[in-house]
Amino acid sequence: MSEPVLVVQDLKKKYGDFEAVRGISFRVSQGEIFGLLGPNGAGKTQSISMMTGLFPPTSGRVHICGLDLSRDTNAAKRKVGLVPQELALYPTLSARENLMFFGRIYGLRGKELRQRVSAMLEVVQLTDRSDDAVEKYSGGMKRRVNIAAGLLHEPEILFLDEPTVGVDPQSRNAIFESVEALNRTGTSIVYTTHYMEEAERLCHRVAIIDEGKIIALDTPSGLIQSLGGGVIQVGLDDGAVQGPLGEFGAEREPGVPGKRVLQVVEQVGGLASVKAASLRDGLLKIEAHRAQEALMGMLEITNQLDVRITVLQILEPNLEGVFLHLTGKKLRE
Amino acid sequence: MNALSIALKDVRILLRERGLLVQLFLLPLVFIIGFSMVFSLGGGNEAITLPVVNLDAEGEIAQALIDDLSATGGIQVALYTQDEAGTLLDEGEIKRVLSIPAGFTADVSAGRRTVLELVSDPEASEQQTAAVREVVDGVARNLSLETQLREAFRRMDEMTATGPPEYQVFTETTIEEQARRQFERSRHTPLVSIAQSFPTNLLGDQDELGVQVTVAGLLVLFVFLTAQTTAQSIYDERKVGSFRRLMAAPLSKAELLAGKMIPNLITTVAQIVVIFAAGVLLVPLLGMEALTLGDDLLGLAVVSLLVALCSTSMGVVIAALARTENQISGISQVALWVMGAMGGAFMPRFLMGDFLSTVGKVIPHAWATEAYYGLLLRGEGMASITSELAALAAFSVVFLVIGVWRFDFDS
Repeated sequence: MSEPVLVVQDLKKKYGDFEAVRGISFRVSQGEIFGLLGPNGAGKTQSISMMTGLFPPTSGRVHICGLDLSRDTNAAKRKVGLVPQELALYPTLSARENLMFFGRIYGLRGKELRQRVSAMLEVVQLTDRSDDAVEKYSGGMKRRVNIAAGLLHEPEILFLDEPTVGVDPQSRNAIFESVEALNRTGTSIVYTTHYMEEAERLCHRVAIIDEGKIIALDTPSGLIQSLGGGVIQVGLDDGAVQGPLGEFGAEREPGVPGKRVLQVVEQVGGLASVKAASLRDGLLKIEAHRAQEALMGMLEITNQLDVRITVLQILEPNLEGVFLHLTGKKLRE
Repeated sequence: MNALSIALKDVRILLRERGLLVQLFLLPLVFIIGFSMVFSLGGGNEAITLPVVNLDAEGEIAQALIDDLSATGGIQVALYTQDEAGTLLDEGEIKRVLSIPAGFTADVSAGRRTVLELVSDPEASEQQTAAVREVVDGVARNLSLETQLREAFRRMDEMTATGPPEYQVFTETTIEEQARRQFERSRHTPLVSIAQSFPTNLLGDQDELGVQVTVAGLLVLFVFLTAQTTAQSIYDERKVGSFRRLMAAPLSKAELLAGKMIPNLITTVAQIVVIFAAGVLLVPLLGMEALTLGDDLLGLAVVSLLVALCSTSMGVVIAALARTENQISGISQVALWVMGAMGGAFMPRFLMGDFLSTVGKVIPHAWATEAYYGLLLRGEGMASITSELAALAAFSVVFLVIGVWRFDFDS
């Protein structure tokens, strides 16, 4: 692996007693796309804000291309491009005027500035509309200008903070392609998202962040493998009639599982190939070490107890499952 | 350089906000023309009736005072006895009475100081009372001057007449010198004074007074209202997220704040220039007296720059303290308009009475208006308004320090 362009060491941010970021550490290599995956409020934007010098951390250090961000602040900032989550553009100015302004802020002047702006407008395919006010653009077009503004000064590392929020599928794909194309030129990227499919598709490595802490960090496939064999969801029906509770002992209250369903859950949970079995909303959820073995064992038990299977879903192991496994929460809760 | 880039960008944005341009430049002109017209129409060109009680009925100088007052054209004298005047004043039939004391003529003739009493109903028009006082003051001053000069020449005449020719020391030169001294004495220590404290800065012509006072008060109101534009501009930068992008750029906080302040400083200076230009060029086209800019244009420029700086700094404070757009709007709508009113936007400060006038000293508007009164109304120079200039500079510094201290760059 090449030299790291970003080194984050034990980064913390406290507001009074509240710890928004609780000591995160990682490195990003030259040419790497590094994902920060976590639900809203996990601390992703706070972390990015400290890494880009928006505000100082309570403690911890950030080095960009070997430069200490707290000491060589302006030099380090010149190596960084930020594409904030918001459309950080001036709506009444045109795309060209916006880019010219942000270029000047990064020290570009004269012919070089004009050439870079024209080149970026070509890249984001907005040359034809470049003199229209940004407020007249579609959401996707605005996103593209937003990204162009972060790339204008050719940063070594680009921070993309949830760049696809509120974007239609077509524009989202265009953004993915832009990120991949940019990465092929050697630009390192830190990409935050709460969409696990984006992290899986784009990122070489992913840090899963929750409540201000990194709870897992690996390649997407490595993280998924750590989950094991995957998740099976099964709908069960033991034939018990719903009705007034207590009559003949066979009837049950609506929503309450029958006696044989509970037996299935208990026996499946005892299988060696199964990590955990639980019943939620009428569905048996099996987290398996080995999904195939667990499925066979579950079928045998339901046959023995004469319980009918109404639904059967075998969930592909993915980062959503990893997050669920690690935190007990869904990414988009 | 970065600050200038930000400023240039903000000026571009401002020039595309037509509604804001109207508010910044057109609205003040509408107010100034409107208020100047009100002053002119309601102005004191009609004679004000002044009840007078003459307790020195046989006195020549008392009679001369009454004649002179009538001759001004601005005042119509109505004579009453002391009892009649007291009753009418109690019943509210008359609003003010000028009392000439017994022995007035003797006192003035003997060079003793004497006091005219101007009793005023609290509900009387303060503007009219001020005008009456000015007229009486002027007439009395002239009268005392005339009396003193006449007395001096009379004495000289007596001395010259009784002495031998070789003792004729009063040459033409010494007489001129004596006259000059008496004139100066009369100006600084008049024999006749008026027992009512009131501003001494009113000018005679109501038309001119209207424009000068209106421009000073409303200019201050609207320039300080621009503080809202400063605050809103900073808030908008946060709202669209560009503030985060700028904070991530190689840019110091000082450059960022300076970049946000410069365009508003330019805007307020432009506002002032437009208002003055309208006062000088546009107002006379509408049949009113033109604004006169006084004798100290440098002083006017210095005051205007300080007022613009103070307004911009106040905008930074508002941006630092307000958390939402509604708070910016609320603070601006209430505080800036109230402060503008206390600063003399809708009523000349010298007619406000002691309480409001004193309370007004805690806000920059009052100092700014007083500085403009000094230059525009009284025709003074910068040296006469140093305390106002110092106060405006102090307010600017304090606002800026509080604004930078309280400004949350992290959010």
